[in-house]
Amino acid sequence: MTLANVFTKTTRDRWKAPTIGVISLGFLFFFGMTVYRDIDLSVYTNLPDYFRQLFGISEDADVASLAYGAILSGYGALSVTAITLAMGASVFAGEERDRTIGLLLGNPKSRTSVLASKAASMVVLTVAMTLLLWAIGLVTPEILSVSIAGIHVGALMFHLLAISLFFGFLALAIGAWTGSPGVASGATAAVLFVSFMGAGLFPLIEGFENLAKAFPWYYFNASSPETNGIDWGHIGILVAGIVVFAAAAVIGVNRRDLRDQTAGISVVDRLRDHPLTHKVADRLAGSTRVSRIWIKTASEHQGLLLVVALLMFGFMGVLLGPMYLLIDEAMATLTEAFPPELLSLFGGGDMSTPEGWYQIETFGMMAPIAVMVVTIAIGGRALTGEEARNTMGLLLANPIKRSTVLYQKTLTMIIFAFVIGFSTFAGVAVGSLLGNLGMSIGNIAATCLLVTLLGLAYGGLALALGAATGRTRIATFGATGLALIAFVINGLLPFSESLSGLVKWQPFYYYLSSDPLMNGMDWGHGAVLTALFVALVGLSVVLFQRRDLRQVG
Amino acid sequence: MTDQIAIHTEGLTKHYGDVEALVDLDLDIRSSEIFGFLGPNGAGKTTMIRTILDEIRPTAGTASILGMDSHSHAVEIRNHIGYVPGDLAMYPNLTGRDTLTYFSNLRGGVDWSYVDELADRLDADLTKKVGDLSSGNRQKVGLIQAFMNRPEVLIMDEPSSGLDPLVQREFQALMREVTANGSTVFLSSHTLSEVQRVADRVGIIRHGHLIAVEAVASLRSKGLRKVELYFDGPVDGSLFSHINGVSDIAVQNHHVTLSFSGPMATLLDAITDRNTLVDISTQEADLEEIFLTYYREEASA
Repeated sequence: MTLANVFTKTTRDRWKAPTIGVISLGFLFFFGMTVYRDIDLSVYTNLPDYFRQLFGISEDADVASLAYGAILSGYGALSVTAITLAMGASVFAGEERDRTIGLLLGNPKSRTSVLASKAASMVVLTVAMTLLLWAIGLVTPEILSVSIAGIHVGALMFHLLAISLFFGFLALAIGAWTGSPGVASGATAAVLFVSFMGAGLFPLIEGFENLAKAFPWYYFNASSPETNGIDWGHIGILVAGIVVFAAAAVIGVNRRDLRDQTAGISVVDRLRDHPLTHKVADRLAGSTRVSRIWIKTASEHQGLLLVVALLMFGFMGVLLGPMYLLIDEAMATLTEAFPPELLSLFGGGDMSTPEGWYQIETFGMMAPIAVMVVTIAIGGRALTGEEARNTMGLLLANPIKRSTVLYQKTLTMIIFAFVIGFSTFAGVAVGSLLGNLGMSIGNIAATCLLVTLLGLAYGGLALALGAATGRTRIATFGATGLALIAFVINGLLPFSESLSGLVKWQPFYYYLSSDPLMNGMDWGHGAVLTALFVALVGLSVVLFQRRDLRQVG
Repeated sequence: MTDQIAIHTEGLTKHYGDVEALVDLDLDIRSSEIFGFLGPNGAGKTTMIRTILDEIRPTAGTASILGMDSHSHAVEIRNHIGYVPGDLAMYPNLTGRDTLTYFSNLRGGVDWSYVDELADRLDADLTKKVGDLSSGNRQKVGLIQAFMNRPEVLIMDEPSSGLDPLVQREFQALMREVTANGSTVFLSSHTLSEVQRVADRVGIIRHGHLIAVEAVASLRSKGLRKVELYFDGPVDGSLFSHINGVSDIAVQNHHVTLSFSGPMATLLDAITDRNTLVDISTQEADLEEIFLTYYREEASA
């Protein structure tokens, strides 16, 4: 039944991630609304526009709209979009990566029809996600007896569906043209990131407000659909994008050669072929790269490191310094009146000081995400990647211990985490100098050190999950999901009088709760994160030693 | 051939949940022999190899290689072995030479002139990325990788898959050379002809059970043959049924086909008594038929 055709098989293969994603969001939404019920709401009327735009909180906030805004429209929208994006990226290109496309097209099906079936599956699963979220959005307030009068949950979900499919189809189109799921998801995630930030940042800068309209995310929540209903103009723009991407995908997939090999051509390969650079490149690729397990692992993740490090240095660091001077002063001073607990939902920070600005923009969310993207990618694949590719047996036929492989790959993870931490530090320090903001260099370093350790703790978690199960998906999705839940809990728990003590039981507490940008390094907190990381690596060794290696295929 | 034991297993058993992949396997592979491990797909060949290499852990029993326990001395053992996994996968973005350099580094160095000699003999292209190679050419890189440290024990799981006949012959010569120099080769295969050409002894495995271990010579002598006989006139099938070692008789007028195991003289003596034999052709039974014979014996035992 589920193997009846390409559509049903794709849906069968892909329903789990959306389901788990939506259930997690439902949990967070329920949790958020419970906590919001208990707090003094008067402060919300003063929320600056910036927060509302970035996190979709409506102006006349009440319990309900805050929960909808922060959970569903903020994290929720990003999560649903990310899941759709991941589906879109591997729609066609995934079969090429798995080398199954030839087999599939050996049947009397055109490329277009395969693409269409798989795209239909992506659409159906995304619609199902939004419908389920819609149901959760309606049932939760009912259970908690919270009034949702005046809130258009359906309109919010409709906008959410449109923005998710926009990015899903963008990823699909890039995958259809390149045949590489990695390129498709990476490039689309970068566009999503820039779009999310751009749509939130430009409205802050006088004279540049309209530039926000250049970013697709703007059409998701700039019109506040949860209070104002569906904005058909904005939806129309997103739908137009979807149509263009779908057409591009059809053209792309039909015009090029299908990939039948897994090796891509990198810059180093080209340099290796060129007589002038042959010697140096050959040394790099032919002897340095393969001299140690950790160096080889590093070379496999170099692209990711480079992109994330540059993004943190340039965009989240240097650029934000001078930009601080451009922000509307009145808006910045508004935040002075806010209780710090409220701001902690967004990673904390007070926009009237440069430290607060950087905390909101860079350190609250983006820096942990940046370090974790890298540490979880390495940690989650450290062991499972070799197992999935069936190379672990060959690797361990050499006279090295299983623990050596694990330690070497952990070393790569540590080095990469520190590179991201350092590039963030350098970016923020330069930004502070350029903007003449006078921030303490030592405190910036302390914050970056803490975020590095936080990222390593989650990288260690991904490593342990991979060591236990041998499955990349469980390792990466598990660690990412637990990080997301901890992040939201960390932001919400301080609101609740009865539960606030529990906040210390998750890692994020040991990152920003000591306010390192203002107070400098909290070595105790650093030690907790380090101990957690070390313990998880130790656990990974034990788990990995015991287990049968997986063999795929 | 010496009587030293290169690989030894005792009651080796591996269960995956309810599935018995390997059952109570007792096996001794002698030093400097080529041992062929034969069995149909899914018989437990790969499970056995992965178990003795400590990739997976036995449910019961033990294994040792060169006298060292396969689990507690796993790392030390790997100093002395070369391994070609079944369904060989390597790093697609590395060239053949990069791949060999990587494993050489992990081993603390190899003799590169020997690597070049191996590449030359197997006609392997080490400059291309592994991901760009055809499966046969990829297999060559895997073979060089296993031979390059001059291992005392070579463990290879379906090593000649994808190789063309010329390269297969060179590979077989290579196996004979290293065993002549004292190395031991353990090779799994589902192709009888390959095993017969190189192996000294053969183990046959089915459903996780080791059914038989035979010297190839004796396998051949009692080897089942397919015999076709042409006579100058019609014959009666019942003539053949009483002969020892004959089975599966089919008679079509002048033409008789049957399976036979035993000395050929017995058969010829029995039939040429009363009939004039015009032509005879005999053919080695294929693997399937040998298996069937063994299974029959197994079932009747």
